[in-house]
Amino acid sequence: MATIEINGQTIEAEEGSMLIAAADKAGIYIPRFCYHDKLSIAANCRMCLVEVEKAPKPLPACATPVTDGMKVQTQSELARDAQKGTMEFLLINHPLDCPICDQGGECELQDLAVGYGRDASQYNEGKRVVMDKNLGPLISTDMTRCIQCTRCVRFGQELAGIMELGMAGRGEHSEIMTFMGHTVDSELSGNVIDLCPVGALTSKPFRFQCRSWEMQNHDGIAPHDTVGSNLEIQVMRDKVMRVLPAANEAINEVWLSDRDRFSYESLDSDQRLTTPRLKINGEWKSTDWQTALEHVAAKLKVINEEFGADSTGALVSPTATLEELNLLKKLMQGMGSSNIDYRLRQQDFRGNQPAPVLGSSIADFESASTVLLVDSNIRKEQPILGLRLRKAVLHGTQVHALNHVDYDFAFRTASTICLAPDAMLSELAILTQLIAGRTGSSVPDAVSKLANGTEASVEIVALANELIDAGENGHVVLGAQARMNPNYSVLTTLTSLISTMTGARLANLAEANSVAAWQVMGAALDDGKNTADMIAEPLKACLLFNIDPRHDLLAGDHALETLSETGMVVHIGNFHDEALDDCCHVQLPLAAFSETDGTHINCEGTVQSWTAAVNPLGDSRPGWKILRVLGNYLSLDGFDYNTIAEVRNEAVAALQPIDASRVNTEFTVDELPDNGLKRIYDLPLYHSDALVRRASALQGAADSKAAVVLHPDTLQAIGAEEGSSVKFSVGEQSVELTVSSSNIVPVQCVVIPSGVDGCSAIGAAASVEVAN
Amino acid sequence: MSVPTTLSDASLAEIDLELAKYPADRRQSAVMAALRIAQDEHGWLSKEIMERIAEYLDIPPIHVYEVATFYSMYEHKPVGKHKISVCTNVSCLLCGSGGVLDHLKDKLGIGPGETTSDGRVTIKEVECLGACGGAPMMQVDKDYHEFLTAEKIDKILEGLDG
Amino acid sequence: MKRAAHIVKSLFLQELIKGLSVTGRHLFKKKITVQYPDEKTPMSFRFRGLHAQRRYPNGEERCIACKLCEAVCPALAITIDSDVRDDGSRRTTRYDIDLSKCIFCGFCEEACPVDAIVETRIFEYHGENRDDLYYTKDKLLAVGDKMEDSIARDRKLDAPYR
Repeated sequence: MATIEINGQTIEAEEGSMLIAAADKAGIYIPRFCYHDKLSIAANCRMCLVEVEKAPKPLPACATPVTDGMKVQTQSELARDAQKGTMEFLLINHPLDCPICDQGGECELQDLAVGYGRDASQYNEGKRVVMDKNLGPLISTDMTRCIQCTRCVRFGQELAGIMELGMAGRGEHSEIMTFMGHTVDSELSGNVIDLCPVGALTSKPFRFQCRSWEMQNHDGIAPHDTVGSNLEIQVMRDKVMRVLPAANEAINEVWLSDRDRFSYESLDSDQRLTTPRLKINGEWKSTDWQTALEHVAAKLKVINEEFGADSTGALVSPTATLEELNLLKKLMQGMGSSNIDYRLRQQDFRGNQPAPVLGSSIADFESASTVLLVDSNIRKEQPILGLRLRKAVLHGTQVHALNHVDYDFAFRTASTICLAPDAMLSELAILTQLIAGRTGSSVPDAVSKLANGTEASVEIVALANELIDAGENGHVVLGAQARMNPNYSVLTTLTSLISTMTGARLANLAEANSVAAWQVMGAALDDGKNTADMIAEPLKACLLFNIDPRHDLLAGDHALETLSETGMVVHIGNFHDEALDDCCHVQLPLAAFSETDGTHINCEGTVQSWTAAVNPLGDSRPGWKILRVLGNYLSLDGFDYNTIAEVRNEAVAALQPIDASRVNTEFTVDELPDNGLKRIYDLPLYHSDALVRRASALQGAADSKAAVVLHPDTLQAIGAEEGSSVKFSVGEQSVELTVSSSNIVPVQCVVIPSGVDGCSAIGAAASVEVAN
Repeated sequence: MSVPTTLSDASLAEIDLELAKYPADRRQSAVMAALRIAQDEHGWLSKEIMERIAEYLDIPPIHVYEVATFYSMYEHKPVGKHKISVCTNVSCLLCGSGGVLDHLKDKLGIGPGETTSDGRVTIKEVECLGACGGAPMMQVDKDYHEFLTAEKIDKILEGLDG
Repeated sequence: MKRAAHIVKSLFLQELIKGLSVTGRHLFKKKITVQYPDEKTPMSFRFRGLHAQRRYPNGEERCIACKLCEAVCPALAITIDSDVRDDGSRRTTRYDIDLSKCIFCGFCEEACPVDAIVETRIFEYHGENRDDLYYTKDKLLAVGDKMEDSIARDRKLDAPYR
């Protein structure tokens, strides 16, 4: 520690830390543009010049390390003159178009110009004009406003991991741009909008919608992934205008993924359900809540009496809130049924279901020394965890990937093994066996049978040694997309065996609010019918909670067929579309995440509640209220809640503890069909839930492209070429899909995404044949 | 004129020599040399060539582009057979680089950034070439010419081949 | 003594004559009453009457939807919605002034960076119901189009004092 003096105030600061950080800690403000505490130091804006005793010139506070006995003046004449001089230079080429600038009112340059600018400029020559760039559908540019602080460039380089923006040219001709017309495609690109201290980079969907001072801030929690990023939902006249990150060092720091940032656009989509609707003689009729709920309750009672409780089931989206999940489970149990499931994209339900948690806190995820990713595209599944992992890699963490596809992680992996689905299972078994041998543990016979006596490759041997050496600093991560794997239970068993034997932490990631769903449902997941059972045989009554069966269920079109044969389908959801209109009998409008109070439990187990930012759209109602009243109409006990806090407290008290997670030790492998192409499952980032699929700007972004990908050799073997249409068949069904090629996919395999139009016809099939 | 898209094996071998000067995980250090080698081969740097260099050095294309646009020695458009770079930075400006440019313009009928219609000569305005002691100066291809006067410039222009 | 003076004053009706003389003087003086609506008082070029939205001479509306008038309005009489127009510029999709709320303070005019919202010399307007006093963008632009000459003249007169 060093003792320094700033403006006569004596403070203690870490020796070698930067002056500006020390001043910030002491609450002394030094003006700055290029400095950001999460980015590296560039010292190119010169706004933070301060006077340091015995230094001949003012020094930049962001790049001057603290030394003992330093005496600093931030407001002396010399410092003020330097700061004012800098401001004058910055304003020379700035267009001063604040009235039409979206940053106006929250602009760092505007704010500081009040304190350090002159009322009139001495510069009368022509200002520099910089052409705007097209950075894609999310970021709009006004590059003349740019002050070349390079925060956006550094964010790409240091945090997002893909350097897409750079500063081209020199001196007066320097401008921020992408390489010759490329767009910014990072899944975290929206953060440069927050970082930009001026209005050069602003949000495209928000462009010219309103001014910063018109909006009210509401706290919220992002519903799309298992991180539970903290949000600031900004509202004007009861409409969500934009979403910004709220700082939470333990969870999302100050960042937000584009999915969480821009998904609000679909909140007023044309496809929102706004009134309760009943299908009468094939015609949809809007009605009031009482009629609709009485109708549902009466029907459910009749079905229950006639066919028994087991003929009723509920499928719930993992984006539902804790309260909704709890009430839905209570409702089902009240009717005597355990048929409730949130695992919409899972097809293998054998064995115990491990808790979908990270196995450490999100902050500690960075501290692992060795990470093994199994069937995970972490960057596109949980962008914030991907960002954490990238930071870890920069600090020396070794990441190994055992995947089907050679994903671009935006960080260097120590080793990457990409294999076809069956080969990957064996490879994981070989690794398990090897670790068992080295640690003197025993493994089930199934493992050795799966390993099939194959010699371990050099990489696997190295990986095994590294995991054993890492011990509890190791982290085995099973990705969310592994849930779609037909041998998911094998993957969970093998990864848990590895983690048990080496002492490594075990992550089993899932979507959205899955942790809450797992904790709420507990034993019901094993007792009742699961998603696959409910899709295999039509039920008599089915409750869909915020689900679009074609896209949210792995079974896709097959699920729709089953539902259309179901006696009564009640859809409680935000949206409706043609397919839903066809298969449902009652539609009840549900308030979206910004319109309801709720609770999210993230992958580290943090319980976060939020309150509604706006009123529900039209006649829609918060899920907990709908379910509570439905419970009353069904004359069930314990549905007399007055506030959501009562529901929440009851739910939290009844949560199944995460450490009750039981892992399997035995498994059987589901042999994959030998014919045709082996399917690799994929869930594209911007197709993950109903809200995201309707967000127009996100749907224009690069990550929304859901491609059917084959290895170039495979593509050649089936006689197709890049961009051509290929007819794939599964059983008797066939569908034509446009294919592309990439050598990141193993041969004889095909990546077929789920959640996407067209591909939904393939359903859950583990292999497809090419029809001629 | 066709746009160059690939680098010859000879150029790649030369880049490899440059790469050998730096640690294996610092391939980006060779970016300036690689750009020079590519420009020697094709005369200018096309988008495709910069992408090729980025791929070869395993760095983002924008990184290559940043360097290529920073230095005035790198060309982004095809240039004439001879390149005349006139320094117009402070020292040369004070010693009359404006007159040098005017004289060249009179003689060749082209301004800075332009190429004669026969594709023989290109004139460029560049930043300081580090020869302030001989201001005003210009660089013709790889040679420096200092203390320029109208007569001297005429002589230099006459001396240029085809 | 005091009493004697009082008696004399009362006897000669001094107070009455004094009063009548005032009446008499004013009877022949020039009258100041304005015969509205046949006559009108002179008006300052800074008069703050009915609002108008101005256009540029080429017909383009001036308002850029910066919403400063909305922010500064102490009576919260202005409501604006903004969006991107097809040509990419920032424009209002709605600009309403509720004249039944407006207190004619003129802050909106002062706040406007482009002189789009102005107050004209019109004060003789009326509405037969509340709707008539709710001025929309179209109404405001119509007032501006009609009054442009007088508005421009007034701004010119005021310019030296700004």
